[in-house]
Amino acid sequence: MSLQYHVELSPGDVAPSVLLPGDPGRVEVVASLWDEARQVASNREYVTFTGTYRGVPISCTSTGIGSPSTAIALEELARVGANTFVRIGTCGSLQDRVRVGDVAIVDSAIRADGTSALYAPVAFPAVAHHEVVDAAIEAARDLGVRAHVGTSFSTDLFYVPEPGSAFGGYEQSAWRERYADVARTNALVAEMEAGVLMVLSRIWGLRGGAIALVADVAEERDEAGVWDPQASFDVSEEPIDRLARMGCETIRILTERDRMRRA
Amino acid sequence: MSLQYHLKLSPGDVAPYVLLPGDPGRVPLVASLWDESRVVASNREYVTFTGTYRGVPISCTSTGIGCPSTAIAMEELARVGATTFVRIGTCGSLQERVRTGDIAIFDSAARYDGTSSLYAPVGFPAVADHDVVEAAVAAGRELGYPFHVGTTRTADTFYALHPRPGSSFGDYWQSSWRDHFEDLRRMNVVAAEMEASVILVLARIWGLRAGGVAVVLDDVLEVSGESGRFDPQEQFEHGGDEIERLARMGSEVVRILAERDAAA
Repeated sequence: MSLQYHVELSPGDVAPSVLLPGDPGRVEVVASLWDEARQVASNREYVTFTGTYRGVPISCTSTGIGSPSTAIALEELARVGANTFVRIGTCGSLQDRVRVGDVAIVDSAIRADGTSALYAPVAFPAVAHHEVVDAAIEAARDLGVRAHVGTSFSTDLFYVPEPGSAFGGYEQSAWRERYADVARTNALVAEMEAGVLMVLSRIWGLRGGAIALVADVAEERDEAGVWDPQASFDVSEEPIDRLARMGCETIRILTERDRMRRA
Repeated sequence: MSLQYHLKLSPGDVAPYVLLPGDPGRVPLVASLWDESRVVASNREYVTFTGTYRGVPISCTSTGIGCPSTAIAMEELARVGATTFVRIGTCGSLQERVRTGDIAIFDSAARYDGTSSLYAPVGFPAVADHDVVEAAVAAGRELGYPFHVGTTRTADTFYALHPRPGSSFGDYWQSSWRDHFEDLRRMNVVAAEMEASVILVLARIWGLRAGGVAVVLDDVLEVSGESGRFDPQEQFEHGGDEIERLARMGSEVVRILAERDAAA
């Protein structure tokens, strides 16, 4: 197996541990925190940088939005040698205690996506590798970041299923209590990629996990009852820098622990 | 809330940390490893002992077999003050590397049960609390037991879902059973048992902690062999040794958790 069709990577192009943001524009921001970095590929929504962070080999590949493009990135990254996947993305909060600017360490996901169900029945758990969770907890402690460990609602929809969020006021009766019911299950946040990342990592025997910056409150509406992410999301430089640092530190801690165990 | 209908427990009867075997007959065996213990309730399949293990308050309540009776035990234990649930049970292996006598540490479960779906949709993850998984890994290392961290398949059946006729009475069989275990093996699921999913789902939705450890008694893919004949009485490895190892593992998980909680 050599050059991969979508991500345009070959074996040797990536480190064993890969950070996975959704936005290709964020890859360079992440890599700017490293000791050294170079762009190794760019095609469609897939941009990859590889380098070292505090002496640890590291890569960052954007997945695009949603589970279908994320599954393609994971399939091709695994083929070129990646074995540890850490998603770094944004999310909406489902709980009062989880505030904008906080970080969610996602240890599991509710599978409300289509792609992961094509790999394994929905009864199969979307669960992070415990070593990734543990490294992320330590990273948050080191960095002094307010973090919560818990479940994410991974859905294929951004503008639904909430009254007031789809175009033209389109809604379905089944949506009315959708987020409220999800919140009642104690899920912390909602986002769009963690579920498939965890299912694929688990079935392949690789390590996966996810860290998500809380950018908004999922149920928040303006005075007109409309949900406007452009106005309400906080994705300014400071919180995105915090997310990127959380990801890099998680991989550093994981890699150093791996080395200690081997020694 | 005082005396609970099925478990016959009241607040104060149990420690915050509760071990959950299926078999009521195993509760006194688990408690025999503790510094001191007393039986606090016994009704139907629910037997509860409370005591201390290496200085840590601990309880053990049997759940009976399967998710319906286990959910009742969880509901009533939570009402009387239990906050951390550690299932200790037996399981079959789905992977060659996971051998008879080994310990499986469940960080998650595939939800092939009925009860947990009545609480939360099946896409909701049956996931163990991170603290419990880490404590179990530490316990496995300290005790020197071979252990594996992974996903279990929890199903509401013991005799159904086997790959060939011969497991259910009268050779009753369904073609959809043929690849059930083999497909789970391909998904990297390590074990099969009957209670973990509902324990993990309920603890998660209530904001409590749960996890599970199990001793491997058989290889699910091999046990019925070419004949398809499934005879657990003959085929399961059931020395006293496996169950003592399991009881030791569970008690140590609780001790490590309690000590880490006290330090935090």
